[in-house]
Amino acid sequence: MGDAPKPLNRAATTCPPAYPEPVLGNPASTLMESGVGNCYPGLEFDLRQLDVRFFPGLTFEFLGIEPSGPDGTQGAHLVNADVESDPIFEEDAGWLGTLKQQLNGPEGAALGDGEWYLHWVEQYGKRIALYDFDVFQNAVHMIPYEGETCWWVIRSIEADQDPDTADLTIALTRRDAAGQPVGNPVVLRGKRRRYLDGEGMIPDVYRPGELTASMCSPWTHDFRDCACQYWASNHPDIVLGPVRGPSLEDGTSSDDPAQAVTFIDWMRRRGSARDVSVASTLERARAEQYDPYEMNLRWQELDFVLQGEETDGTPTTPPMAGLRHAYASTAEVIQDLTEELAPLEFTLSMVYLYAYFSLRAPDEVTSDQRRAWPDLADDLRAARQTLLSVALSEMTHMRWVNQILWTLDRAGHYPEGGYVPVIQPFQPAYADPVTGLPPDDLEARVRKLRPATLSALADFVEVERPANPLDSEYAGLVDHLRRNPGTYPPGLYELAVRIDSDGVQHYQKFRNIRELLARYEAHPLLVLRDIELAPADDAAVKPALGHLQDIVGALKDGYDAEHLDDMPRAEACILRSRDAMRAFQAEAERLARGDGVKGLGIPFFALWEVPKNAT
Amino acid sequence: MPRDSAPSPASVAMDAARPQSAHAHLAGDLALVAETMGLYRLDDTQAATLAKGLLDGDAGTAAALMQLGLTAAALAPPPDNPTRPVRALALTVSQTCNLACVYCYASGGNFGGPDGRMSWDVARQAIDTLIGDTPPGGGVKIAFMGGEPLVARDLIHRAVRHARLRAGMRAVAVGFSTTTNGTLITEQDAAFLAEHRFAVTVSLDGSRATNDRLRPGRGGQGSFDRVAAGVARLSRHADRIALSARVTVTPANLDLDDTISALADLGFSSVGVSPSITSPTGRGALQPADFTALLDAMIRCGDSWLEAVLNGRTHPFANLATALRELHQGRPRSHACGAARDYLAVDASGAYSACHRFVNDPLGKMGDLSGGIDHKARRTWLDERSVERQAPCTRCWARRLCGGGCHQEVLHAGRPACDFVRGWLHFSMSAYSRMIEHRPDWFDEPG
Repeated sequence: MGDAPKPLNRAATTCPPAYPEPVLGNPASTLMESGVGNCYPGLEFDLRQLDVRFFPGLTFEFLGIEPSGPDGTQGAHLVNADVESDPIFEEDAGWLGTLKQQLNGPEGAALGDGEWYLHWVEQYGKRIALYDFDVFQNAVHMIPYEGETCWWVIRSIEADQDPDTADLTIALTRRDAAGQPVGNPVVLRGKRRRYLDGEGMIPDVYRPGELTASMCSPWTHDFRDCACQYWASNHPDIVLGPVRGPSLEDGTSSDDPAQAVTFIDWMRRRGSARDVSVASTLERARAEQYDPYEMNLRWQELDFVLQGEETDGTPTTPPMAGLRHAYASTAEVIQDLTEELAPLEFTLSMVYLYAYFSLRAPDEVTSDQRRAWPDLADDLRAARQTLLSVALSEMTHMRWVNQILWTLDRAGHYPEGGYVPVIQPFQPAYADPVTGLPPDDLEARVRKLRPATLSALADFVEVERPANPLDSEYAGLVDHLRRNPGTYPPGLYELAVRIDSDGVQHYQKFRNIRELLARYEAHPLLVLRDIELAPADDAAVKPALGHLQDIVGALKDGYDAEHLDDMPRAEACILRSRDAMRAFQAEAERLARGDGVKGLGIPFFALWEVPKNAT
Repeated sequence: MPRDSAPSPASVAMDAARPQSAHAHLAGDLALVAETMGLYRLDDTQAATLAKGLLDGDAGTAAALMQLGLTAAALAPPPDNPTRPVRALALTVSQTCNLACVYCYASGGNFGGPDGRMSWDVARQAIDTLIGDTPPGGGVKIAFMGGEPLVARDLIHRAVRHARLRAGMRAVAVGFSTTTNGTLITEQDAAFLAEHRFAVTVSLDGSRATNDRLRPGRGGQGSFDRVAAGVARLSRHADRIALSARVTVTPANLDLDDTISALADLGFSSVGVSPSITSPTGRGALQPADFTALLDAMIRCGDSWLEAVLNGRTHPFANLATALRELHQGRPRSHACGAARDYLAVDASGAYSACHRFVNDPLGKMGDLSGGIDHKARRTWLDERSVERQAPCTRCWARRLCGGGCHQEVLHAGRPACDFVRGWLHFSMSAYSRMIEHRPDWFDEPG
């Protein structure tokens, strides 16, 4: 009988949605950049607006300097003096009665005539005038402070605790055409307004919309032309777009495999043309963006941004599609993290580090080379920094995997033996039993220490390609934790999500490096140091391997200390490993530079190799 | 039926559908693996292997499945927590009715109690609880039930407006439905139901004669003309009202072909039938002997549905369409419906029950508005009612499709219709085999 029949219906091919309910709130691992950029409730209001009503019965505006220059109107300008619209006068402190009489009497009548400005404020015997003095040709010239400076002064007025004492005195004056105070001042006594009542509420004197009146409006041309960046949240600028065209299994489009990872301008003009990578400067990007009024007409096209991606609809693929693993038990999780994922992270970090040391440092570029290749030093600097950042990111992952493991142990999920720190590479790929040669597939190649040649970089790109099996390692872990709520300690799920969602950018970073270095394809030695991988027993690399051993030892001690919640010891171990890392880096650079002789690459994994004579 | 004539299709289907093994069932060339609900097309040799295995009960079936490369999964335990958050609520807005149907589960609308109407306070509190317990971004469904809900027209209007406001403030999507006898629908009602995108189910039992006999007014007068007028008003908003008819089948209206064509003429594009198995009065319930006739009628309707759909036309008979979609989805069930799981009813007194059929029934009581929903009762009840715990069901190949039957019927009348249900599912599997081969696109259309 032939193959087993395939089901005709969807039984066993679909599972009920993992999320019958919408997800509420942000998990603890949320970063600023993962917020919903254009509707994130960050700053709810403009603090400055509170102080326009700092004095009972009065409303000010803080006027700045006109673009044409100071014209004498800058400062704290009185907009309104009115007892009726201020509920504070319903309270029964004695000073309020006096103030009410003043504002309903001659002082109020005076303030109703012409433009008035705050002249000085006085509290606890200290008076601050809102003018600077300039003595010129034996005449005193007064220069009004601009609105923002006045606001600083008003901010510094204290809210006195005694409700019955009028501790604050203010004076208002009118100004002449040159901005000089003239005429009799109006002097009022009162108290600074309290901005929250006993129940923490903002008082009714503030009208709806007043506290946000100075802020920009999302989805209008404010988005485009905002100059002050005073946004209620991070306002989206560059985003990953929705993938157009037929989608391949790896999540990219058959039209352009880079589409899913190319950052595009959120404010780009939408059209039939393919979205192109965002321009590098504001000026260059402008041409491709909506005009201010165009944006007002087409705001619907500006999608929400979630996790850096535009979302223009409901996702159609189940979130956990294509899982590498569905774990049946915690023991399986632990086994996979210990035997596969932690070694994977360590191996990749060392492989990337090796590639990093294989690149020339910018200071190795000779003046002749600089003349012929003016960008070379910058390109090398960029490539090295990027490679190092990815290597560091993989090291961070290794730590996180260990953290998951020790958290599981502390919560009693470990099988016998308990948590042991995992810092080790993969076993070398198994040799083919027929040819005796190691396999030459991608998975085997990326376990090898190789200089950052273009072909090595191409492999790195492949490994980090979104939805490559190696890139989706953690989806199964996230799924497992999600399916077993309440079983695991708090924070574990967030940590798993964090690892799973981290790393999208590795792919783009490696593509960028490859693009940078591809222009030197015909002259590899401009880019690469002339190094070769030293044999494991080479005496020259002994000190470097010693440093590496120290690093690994210190990290293992540190992980163990954190596992036992012994933070002082953990911190000491971290310091120890940092010192070892510095020494290691200096030694690795020295070996790789070679200084006149052929450079050496350190066989990092030698530390874990079984000595040949032992077999 | 003369003795020497061939057995009817229903008898054949019922015979073929009798449980041989709890692991699998074979309908023509289609095999169903009972526990996973996987459907597999077998060639002749494979089908013969399975048929032979089925003759030897569970052991033989398990062996045959293994030989085919399939697995006879053991019965899974009931889910740990069978409840889900309550997201659908039936408001029994009117415990009275202007009709006096003989078989009504609500005993003429009042569920065996005094006639009553829901007060605004009860409706408001029930709606507020439903929406307040739903996270922003979620959705709820509110069904207005009776009695005849439109007796409480003003309350429905007020409740809908209130629910939309509350839901809007909480960013919760809300959908409405009602089941009505159709006699009281005015132009204004139809416009209102359309405005709020109601799903409207009209209970109707057939042609004028049948309907007037089974569904008389309280004074004994016929109701057909008034229903027809109401349906006509609803049909004018066909673009915004999801309109369907529901036929309760009693011994007096087993002529389903006529019934369905009569209702199609009235303007229904979807007509579902459901057998009357229990009746508080004992009148109007189908007797064991009636089920063969009913299945024959349903198979006839199913055949004409297939004939129409396989030829690219439509047909109003909804039962087969529903069965086919369920088969295609292949989701193993633990319960027949969402009652008590994510759906509850609330009655005029503010008491919650497992569904709209359990109003005033101590067997389905789930707390009340003042003390809140009794979640422990929901959980216990659903656990006890799960198909995994129903003695005859664990031996039945159709358990994951059927889910154990309507809770209210089972609790009051047991399971008199299992052969009928299995016979119908057997027929539906054969229909699925043809549909998936000739009209696979049909399964992509929204149901």
